[in-house]
Amino acid sequence: MKLARPIISLGAAAVVSGAALGFALAFGDRLRHEAARTSHQQPETDHWLEPVTPTSPALVVQGRRLFLGSCAHCHGADATGDEGPDLHDLQVSDRYIAHMIKFGEAHEMPSFAKKHGPPDITALTAYVRSLEN
Amino acid sequence: MESTIWAKAHGATTHFPLALAVCSVACDAAGFALARKPVGHELRAAGYWTMIFGAMGTVPAVLSGLLMTQGTVMGHDALRLHHLFVWPAFALLVALGTWRLVQGRQAPPRALAAYLVLAGVAAGLMTAAAYWGGEMMIAR
Repeated sequence: MKLARPIISLGAAAVVSGAALGFALAFGDRLRHEAARTSHQQPETDHWLEPVTPTSPALVVQGRRLFLGSCAHCHGADATGDEGPDLHDLQVSDRYIAHMIKFGEAHEMPSFAKKHGPPDITALTAYVRSLEN
Repeated sequence: MESTIWAKAHGATTHFPLALAVCSVACDAAGFALARKPVGHELRAAGYWTMIFGAMGTVPAVLSGLLMTQGTVMGHDALRLHHLFVWPAFALLVALGTWRLVQGRQAPPRALAAYLVLAGVAAGLMTAAAYWGGEMMIAR
């Protein structure tokens, strides 16, 4: 009988904790889709094991230089958008940004895979990530 | 509605679970060490209530954070690092608070010792999450 209470307590702790975490993640998913529905950005699944992209002021400066050469004529010199969309405060992953630079999007944006290799794309991603409203 | 309301709410709510969890671990550890003295009983009572209120305090902190970031559960850079500590801390604190509530003030010494280790881990995770939260404030 003495053993029953700790076991019941452990079970209750696991159930309540799992339910709280599940509710929080589901609530987040709902909010994310709601926010994406009212913007031009596509909702995407968070990748839990995606590594954090290394960044530094020097990398951002290099990205800015590349941006002015390749991207500014569509996205604007200040990246607030012109023919292409505003790039400030993007709610998409680094991988999505890198993929878009590399492969582009049909009828929307050309591929820059031939012009920019992985180090350039990392710098461009760091620059785009540094743009905040 | 004012656009920064959830950022303000997150700032207002997030410090309670952090402070209460750290305080709870300190009180329980001292109560455990001074178990044979009358003050040990009082310290464990303080550890009990601070953990329960700390676990309850995680709910508004997490909800306001989700509303502030429009549902971002991982994100990028410092936000990602913040979340890598937040979610395990949240799950662990809710579990520990629930265990304490159902178990009551009395628990076998071995269970209390295991609890104390896990509560220390939860407090450490909360502190790390708070550190990265602070880094985001400085970055902005």
